[in-house]
Amino acid sequence: MSKLIFELILTRIAQGILVLLILSILIFGLLGAAGGDAVSALTDSSHTSEEIARELRRIYGLDQPFAVRYARWISDLLRGHLGYSISYQAPVGAILRPRLINTAVLAALAMAIAWVTALTLGTLAAPRAGTWIDQLCSLTVIVASSTPRLVLALLTLAFITHIPFENTRLGWFFQLMLPTFVLSVPLMAILLAQMRGRVREIYDEEFVRAARAKGFSERIILIRHVLRPSLNPLITISGYALGGLISGSVIVERVFGWPGIGHLSVTAVQSRDVPLLMGIVLVTATTVLAGNLLADIFLRLNDPRLR
Amino acid sequence: MKPKIIDRFVIFVRPLFRRGRGSLVAGITIVAAFYMMCIFADFLAPYDYREVSLGEPLAPPARIRFRDEEGRWRTRPFIHPQRLADPLERRYEENLQRSYSLEFFTSGYRYKIFGLTTDRHLFGVGKGDDGKTARVHLLGTDVLGRDRLSRLLLASRFSLLVGPLSTLIACVIGILIGCTAGYGRGRIDAVLMRIADTMMAFPTLVLILAARAAFPLELPPWRAATLLITIFVALGWAEMARLTRGLVMELRERDFVLAAISLGLSPARVLWRHILPNARRPLTVNALLMLPTFLLAEMALSFFGVGVQEPEASWGNILTAASEITLLERGHALILVAPAFAIMLFMIGVRLLSNGLDRDQFQDQFKDKEIATFHRPQLAPRE
Repeated sequence: MSKLIFELILTRIAQGILVLLILSILIFGLLGAAGGDAVSALTDSSHTSEEIARELRRIYGLDQPFAVRYARWISDLLRGHLGYSISYQAPVGAILRPRLINTAVLAALAMAIAWVTALTLGTLAAPRAGTWIDQLCSLTVIVASSTPRLVLALLTLAFITHIPFENTRLGWFFQLMLPTFVLSVPLMAILLAQMRGRVREIYDEEFVRAARAKGFSERIILIRHVLRPSLNPLITISGYALGGLISGSVIVERVFGWPGIGHLSVTAVQSRDVPLLMGIVLVTATTVLAGNLLADIFLRLNDPRLR
Repeated sequence: MKPKIIDRFVIFVRPLFRRGRGSLVAGITIVAAFYMMCIFADFLAPYDYREVSLGEPLAPPARIRFRDEEGRWRTRPFIHPQRLADPLERRYEENLQRSYSLEFFTSGYRYKIFGLTTDRHLFGVGKGDDGKTARVHLLGTDVLGRDRLSRLLLASRFSLLVGPLSTLIACVIGILIGCTAGYGRGRIDAVLMRIADTMMAFPTLVLILAARAAFPLELPPWRAATLLITIFVALGWAEMARLTRGLVMELRERDFVLAAISLGLSPARVLWRHILPNARRPLTVNALLMLPTFLLAEMALSFFGVGVQEPEASWGNILTAASEITLLERGHALILVAPAFAIMLFMIGVRLLSNGLDRDQFQDQFKDKEIATFHRPQLAPRE
């Protein structure tokens, strides 16, 4: 069993490196082909002369052909350097680290909220088809899955402008919880829908009937026999959802002014800072790939049938 | 005997009213209403959405009244004109001495609809007691004094064109690639699906932002629309390809497909006549589930100021304009709630529609089996 998981990890890492290589060439090429770089963003806004622009391009190596720039970038990467951000005038790694932690906190809390809600509501609703709690569940799924994070974030913002919570003792709590809540809502809808469907399916399985025939209480059946197999789709979706969470954090962080990766990516795009943007794409892509791998490992740990 | 056309109509419509089709009917109604709104946007909007009126920046929503100051009921609803009391703070006061009654089918700016040029609009205000004219802004005005309601109505045209059109094109390309991979199998399948996996695993919005960064910010609306559609299609085909491939692989082992192949039909014909018709439902449901993603991406791009540029309107830049902090602090929640509500309602419509189709499909197969609301392509890879 452990040998299989080891194999899985190795193949995934090999595939992941290939995928990252292709993606980096794609993005690098796209940014290069379109023309315009960090210096042209500079000349757009202020009165930088042609000579200065040319000199700046020479210093940052922006006048080199595409292949040379890419080769430089990748050789730097292999030595552990993510490059030098032109707009921030700092190494990309140093810019990314604190922001990555901020986003990770946000995403982890959002994931936790989504899981807890999905587990409680899902297990409560599934055996009670047609009751008010089941209908509440359906309503939550429909409304939550059709509320865009952007809309929800703006409405929340409108709501909190009327509450002067910043000066209260719980200010930090609200500042953390509001973006987290907004980030978790669409994910919660997906998890809840899956959970409810799965639990209901599993209640019809033979092994549940067997457990009932043995005389176990409903609580034991739920915890020991139903819950574990119904976690499978949730684990898989959570792995894939990391990409969605990072996309969502772009919006949420922008609206709530949370200094994370999403906030940074908009800044990088607006100033056409290629090294910074490449760093962001690389880091987020690696996170998503790692998330998928983790989900697959957890899936195998949770469900012996898949090993 | 009934005429044939009515027969067809009945065949099409009756299934909608069978028991348990509530969500399908509700979904179709909502989505159709939105597209009707797009078609008749010029008629519904009282003013030109680009018309700047510097005398009334950031005006609050007009209050429609039915009774005058002395408490007597009027025959027609009316408004009091708003006067800019403090230009610095942009505070408005209602001029209670004057009133303008609300009228229907008033004349306004000229526009074209179905090839006809007309200047009729659903509503507006007539001449006041003193013979002067005024403007009515049910949702207030923005910084440049443009009518927010008109902008919202016209914005739905752009947003409801870009989202669905890119979904459609992405679906066609995805289905083509999925068919090639699923029918061809072997090496071509492995290569295509590896690419699709790459596309699917990444944070879409970051990629869209990166792709958008490659092009100049200021673009005319048609170029912007084309560019957005191209970016969305380039990033969105993968999900559809994955689902199609799975369905094609499953269906091509079925007896009727094997029979068709052994009859010597060409692969294209087998796919078109025998495989795709049987995969119609899940493909439609998935397409409907993809639609919100693209709508959201368009909104997000416009929100960050890299989508459609002013004075053109889209749901994204309407939301941005509505979320100015000064307005929120003054309690004009309606301004923000109106576009937010429109977006949510459309999303709910699409969701109900796809739920309805999904449920239908599953009921055809297994009676009364509880359905998974979210139909995702091969979420659990079993190796």
